[in-house]
Amino acid sequence: MDNLSEIINYLKGKKVRFADAREHLFRERQIMTEDTRVEGINEQNVSGTGIKVLYENGWGYASTSAKGMDSLKKAADKALSLARNADKTATGKVELAAEPKHVAKFATKTKEDLFGPGVGDAVAVLIEAGETILKGKDVIKAGSYLVFRNVKKKYANTEGSLIETDISTVLPQIDATARANGEVKSRHYWPAPMNAGYEYFRGLDFKTNAERIAAQAREHCFAKSCETGATTLILDPEHLSLTMHESVGHPTELDRVLGYEESCAGRSFATTDKLNNFKYGSELVNFIADNTLEGGLASCGYDDEGVECQKWHMIKDGILTGYGVNRELAHKLKLKRANGTTRATKYCDVPITRIPNLYLAPGKKPLSFEELIADTEDGIYIEGMGSFSIDQMRLNMQFGGDAFWEIKKGKITGMLKNVVYNAISYEFWRKCDAIADKRSFKRAGFITCGKGDPMQAAQMTHGASPARFREIMVRRAKH
Amino acid sequence: MNSTIEKILKKPVTDHVVITCEKFETHSIRFSNNSVNRENLCKLAEEVRVEVGYDGRTGSFSTNDLSEDSIKHAVEKAYEAAKLLPKDSEYMPPVTEAEAAKIKNFKPAFGKMSEGRKYGILRDAFRELKKAGLNSAGSLSTTPLTFEVYNNNGVHISHSNCVSSLTLTAMTENSSFRESHISKDFADYDGEVFISNIIKHAQLSRNPAPLEPVKFTVVLGPSAVEELLLMFLWYNMDAKAIDEGRSAFSKRAGKRIATEAIHIYSKPDHATASLSPFCPNDGMPFIGFDMIKNGKLARAWYSRFYAAKKGVPATGRFPANIIFKGTNKPVDKLISNVGNGLYVNSFWYIRLVDLMDGIFTGMTRDGLFRIKDGKLTGSVNNFRFNQSVFDMLRDTTEIGKEKALFSMACASIPPITVKDFNFTSKTEF
Repeated sequence: MDNLSEIINYLKGKKVRFADAREHLFRERQIMTEDTRVEGINEQNVSGTGIKVLYENGWGYASTSAKGMDSLKKAADKALSLARNADKTATGKVELAAEPKHVAKFATKTKEDLFGPGVGDAVAVLIEAGETILKGKDVIKAGSYLVFRNVKKKYANTEGSLIETDISTVLPQIDATARANGEVKSRHYWPAPMNAGYEYFRGLDFKTNAERIAAQAREHCFAKSCETGATTLILDPEHLSLTMHESVGHPTELDRVLGYEESCAGRSFATTDKLNNFKYGSELVNFIADNTLEGGLASCGYDDEGVECQKWHMIKDGILTGYGVNRELAHKLKLKRANGTTRATKYCDVPITRIPNLYLAPGKKPLSFEELIADTEDGIYIEGMGSFSIDQMRLNMQFGGDAFWEIKKGKITGMLKNVVYNAISYEFWRKCDAIADKRSFKRAGFITCGKGDPMQAAQMTHGASPARFREIMVRRAKH
Repeated sequence: MNSTIEKILKKPVTDHVVITCEKFETHSIRFSNNSVNRENLCKLAEEVRVEVGYDGRTGSFSTNDLSEDSIKHAVEKAYEAAKLLPKDSEYMPPVTEAEAAKIKNFKPAFGKMSEGRKYGILRDAFRELKKAGLNSAGSLSTTPLTFEVYNNNGVHISHSNCVSSLTLTAMTENSSFRESHISKDFADYDGEVFISNIIKHAQLSRNPAPLEPVKFTVVLGPSAVEELLLMFLWYNMDAKAIDEGRSAFSKRAGKRIATEAIHIYSKPDHATASLSPFCPNDGMPFIGFDMIKNGKLARAWYSRFYAAKKGVPATGRFPANIIFKGTNKPVDKLISNVGNGLYVNSFWYIRLVDLMDGIFTGMTRDGLFRIKDGKLTGSVNNFRFNQSVFDMLRDTTEIGKEKALFSMACASIPPITVKDFNFTSKTEF
């Protein structure tokens, strides 16, 4: 911390309004397999320090991979010079929300170091999964993708905060592709990515799931096409994680709402005049943002503005009640404090507002998944993530899935194919008429959520219990 | 650093050591609401990647610590990883000197943009846009870059280039229009022309009229073509996937897939859309080749391994660039030939819907205009499309002048006119 404190003192002497410095060590191992061969292993250690400066009303950011004080001072001077240039175009006063001074440490709870076991251990597991998948009838391809990531940060700012964090992340995925009946279809097993240690990877059942996805990839090839028209959908937690990410997570990033992201990620229909009065979903719909969630991908203790991670309602009883808010924009909502959602991917990236861990709260009334299916006369049950697309205001959305099951008279009767559904996002959530209870709650999440310019990838957990939606427009993906 | 690498390669740990260095020196200025108020950053990203082969296995390790100790550590870690892996049926030894000799290196000319020029371009843009009653968001960035590849076969190659871009979205109260200028160093940038074109189209985009989605004749701007075409090629052009029946081309071998006029190719030393004459990962020479010509797939993309297996030249898993051969016709000429249709400036959030039939979905964004009697008459609400790219290539009726672009890859892409483009739903703006 000595170097960071020294550089902060150096910048204080330059009369900056605010500055922070973030030392950032990013370590990652990615393993990709194809069938029973290792397609690639990428190991990387990337470290450096990023320095952010607010001079009058202009921001500047510069970084260096060098460790010495001379290099840090050069980066600090560069950030200051950029801030001065930005200040010349400023159109308003920058007001930073207050945040208590934090002198703290936070680390992911782990039992086993991600990088402790040699790379051969994980490769053996993935190759075995590939062998199992390839034993499946009509299977033509097996694949896997595994990420172990550890990010250590030290953070200091001109308000006296000194924070150290140590975050470990695991993302495991396996895939099967079958060719039969003139079709090529894939099926995947993507257990929830978690902030955890190697023990999480060790505890996953790849063998059973490899057999299952191989069989279901083939079954998908023989499935009948769905009918076009409005129908009932039941969506599984993994599928819902993508739906909520696109239609609730992104629209409630305040920087986007206020036009700051217009040129890349777009804007949002969920404008601030709708706060606390807009019916975003049915009364059953409650979305909780929670960056304190144990094992959550965005649970980092303190964000990259030095703000403590928090928990709040993004949508309560169907009404829009919150946003992801950074220190600079909090005052636009007359909020006294940001809510700890500002993150950067690597040392050279500027921290920006990111989707927090966000989940659909389970239904309050007792309702199992089986009871939810039994209570549904006709419809489609969708598992997993497939094609996904939404407009830049986060309104018109279209989703596919990984597997589609026909529901007839309260029973799953077989697989369907070529299913995509299309809706306006808030109308979709308003049509939610049942959510299974907490017994069916599962997590999912992402480590590649793209935003910013230059583009950065962020990670966050989502979760849900299976939920039902009425009168959703389903189309055949092809005729 | 060169001497460190040369020292390591003089006594390589195995007969397969490849060390690549990438250096990107980015200055990116992001703005919104006519002000530099977002990412405003300088970053020097230098990274070394070491690849070590051992008995038909390959391990790799990357670091941005360029010290001798760190690079030696990277070699050890890559070697250690290689020893722990199973034998790779697609193992390839490093590029040889004879292979590297085929690289057609070129020296792109570019100067350094001063801070004054960069912020000056933005101040001029903000002033004109404010005057026109428009808001703006976007970014201006310059990235001088260098790729270097060394290996124990004696290969040492390097290439320097520069990518600069200005992307600007101009907004009215209820609409937007986006345009970009991609160049080496902005020596070719005419601010007056660029900004006046944006202002003209942004003004025209005001108050989008309601319109129902059906099949329309469309003129797709270069960005729209690039976004859809590159996504399609990325999913489908891998030669091994085609042979294994996992590509939309698998069931179209030798079949007509496009109108005769479409010619899509790669040319590593293209004047405006070039980045590197070799693959920065291993030094494999990029080659010029036809991808789609005379209405058919001319050549797919071959990795070094698969090319060697099939006895054809390697193109890389992604080639040097994508060039869609254009004509001399400006986009206005294409618009003038459409009696009733739409002009699509760009697409957004394109995703695959059906792999084997090349069907993609996405939204129109930042400029969807009605064409009536050969003229843009105003904007309409944005649409979602569900469109087969094979149908688009078959139904292309006119091709315009190429424009340099850079999203997924370096590209030079023209606007095209397509009949019966399949819009399936609309949105609220």
